[in-house]
Amino acid sequence: MNNIVVGLGEVKISNNPNDILVAYGLGSCLGIAMYDPVTHVAGMVHAVLPSCDDTTEINEACSKYVCCGLEVLLQKMLRAGALRTRIVIRMAGGANMLASTTFSDVMNIGFRNIESSRRKLSEMKFKIAGEEVGGNIGRTVRFYVADGRMAIRMMGGKERDV
Amino acid sequence: MKDPYTHEQFSEKLRPLLEVMAGEGIQNAVKGLSQMTGQQITVTEPEVTLVPLVNIPDLLGGPENEAVGVYLRAEGEMSGQIMLVFPYERALKLVDLLIDEPEGTTQHLGAYERSALAEVGNLTGSFFLNSVATMLGLEARPTPPAVMVDMVAAILDVIIATAAGVSEHVLMLSATFMQGDREAEASFWVIPDPRVLEAFLEGKN
Repeated sequence: MNNIVVGLGEVKISNNPNDILVAYGLGSCLGIAMYDPVTHVAGMVHAVLPSCDDTTEINEACSKYVCCGLEVLLQKMLRAGALRTRIVIRMAGGANMLASTTFSDVMNIGFRNIESSRRKLSEMKFKIAGEEVGGNIGRTVRFYVADGRMAIRMMGGKERDV
Repeated sequence: MKDPYTHEQFSEKLRPLLEVMAGEGIQNAVKGLSQMTGQQITVTEPEVTLVPLVNIPDLLGGPENEAVGVYLRAEGEMSGQIMLVFPYERALKLVDLLIDEPEGTTQHLGAYERSALAEVGNLTGSFFLNSVATMLGLEARPTPPAVMVDMVAAILDVIIATAAGVSEHVLMLSATFMQGDREAEASFWVIPDPRVLEAFLEGKN
């Protein structure tokens, strides 16, 4: 198996069944994945912040934002041969790393990332098939191109499916 | 807002000031830590670096490494973020030292142990800020610290998420605390808010 690292603000696509798309140690960041089970085209965005303003041009430079990152991911999926109506969505991350402290209200970017992705996915008419979001723990997210399975691992824990 | 990190005056005007701040401030922070633990703790040469955000998760040995982060904000004229990151095993040993127990006693980090580590953040942060206040006349107060026990990348997401809306880089004052055996004890980072850097550049401070 071949790990393809999806770094901060990146969008990665693959249709090679030997590939695994991996985002390591997501805290407040979100890993959102799309999968077409027929063509086996898989993609993931590693988004950092909730939303960009409406005037921002959709290009890869803005994929660190949830809203723009999802658009870039969809475009790349379609270009790689995915069919929009077959796309399945899974996501993980969006933790509040500063939970139960004086920071938690003003700086809960994880929560805002989750809200933003749900709103954007709903606008795009996508349903979320599986998610493991929120809480206050970091997660490594793996997305298996062979079968569209998303698995997470937390500190000291074993990998399990979302 | 103009990205203060790519400002043409960055290298000539800002860097020397920040280097003094890093040198004096971090030396003072480590002095505080030595007093607190009763151990001779030394520090590597403090550095001022402009770090691309995308590189941050890999800076401390690997994104999935288990670590403890103590995070606080500085509020006031010298506002910014302060982060201390310990490798997990070192954090356990440091707690033993702080609560005066033989090495190996602490096996996990509960509320009591976390509050001991929070105190380390509080003390080093305060010593750093006091030093900056004395040197540059810039007032700042530390907020109460937050302690995170998690993967390095998840801990550092706090810094990344705070900075990512403004710039693709963070300007970081950093050093590594070392104990007698030269084993790395902790990484100490100070990340001034962009507005502070802008004020420096415009000569308002």
